[in-house]
Amino acid sequence: MSNLKTTLAGYITYRGREGHWSFLLHRITGLGVVLFLTIHIIDIAFVYFNPDLFMKAIEIYRSTLFGIGEIFLVFCVFYHGVNGLRIAYLDLFKPQGWHVESQRRSARWTLTIALILWLPSAFWMLRNLLMHNYGLFGG
Amino acid sequence: MASFTQTLRRVRVKPNYETIAWKWMRYSAFAMIPLVWGHMILQDVIVGVHRIDLDYVAMRWASLFWRIYDALLLGFAFAHGVNGLRQVLNNFIHGDRARKVMNWLLFLFWLVITLIGGAALIAGVNRAFPLP
Ligand code: HEM
Repeated sequence: MSNLKTTLAGYITYRGREGHWSFLLHRITGLGVVLFLTIHIIDIAFVYFNPDLFMKAIEIYRSTLFGIGEIFLVFCVFYHGVNGLRIAYLDLFKPQGWHVESQRRSARWTLTIALILWLPSAFWMLRNLLMHNYGLFGG
Repeated sequence: MASFTQTLRRVRVKPNYETIAWKWMRYSAFAMIPLVWGHMILQDVIVGVHRIDLDYVAMRWASLFWRIYDALLLGFAFAHGVNGLRQVLNNFIHGDRARKVMNWLLFLFWLVITLIGGAALIAGVNRAFPLP
């Protein structure tokens, strides 16, 4: 139990600015996506094992609440991917590039690029949601 | 920006399981950008969950290309995700014995879910005949 407290306290009190929030964001988005992926593999398996349950799951995914969750999930995958590329590229090919100053800048760029990738998708998914669930835009 | 010099010294360490896992997380990253982003943009954004049903999956899995694509996705993304979960748990679980138990549980978790997903992918869409 003390492990839990010490580690979590470190996650909060560490003051590494960009390095701190990009670490936390990478971790939270990774965990969020693996949680969803586990559920998702099972719901797709229902296509074979129990088709009625598959359609029940799809109905839940179509609800407004899950639609909003889906929009955030897409952000998680974009951010985690861009930041993961930054980590993989530096660790494997350019370890001397791990400088605090340049990585502060590159962490900000990572977030910016993820947001730029996400916004058009988010807009389109929101439009689909409003169209199908609220009859807007001629839906 | 303050200028400073940096001394790098390369040391050879005999690769062990953790080295392989570390590399796996990074090399799989490059494969997963097209796989995961492609899948997500196609299914969540372009097609959208309101147009996905059994017919849609049947149509998709009628193509060997998409089945192989989905198999790669399952193999890469889930193994990456479970190993990532293991990395996070390593921060909280420190004892040798406890880590051993954790590793085995995670391995079983990965195996069971992967087999369930893989079985459905191979068996395909299961519907009563005649098709409605
Ligand atoms: C889209 C492409 C992806 C890329 C480029 C990517 C890249 C990476 C990299 C390089 C790491 C290692 C970070 C480190 O050790 O410091 C990592 C960690 C992780 N990834 Fe991914 N990943 C991707 C997709 C995914 C997906 C789909 C999942 C979920 C199934 C996932 C879950 C995780 C988790 C849980 C961690 C551990 C987080 C941590 O240690 O803080 N990733 N990812």
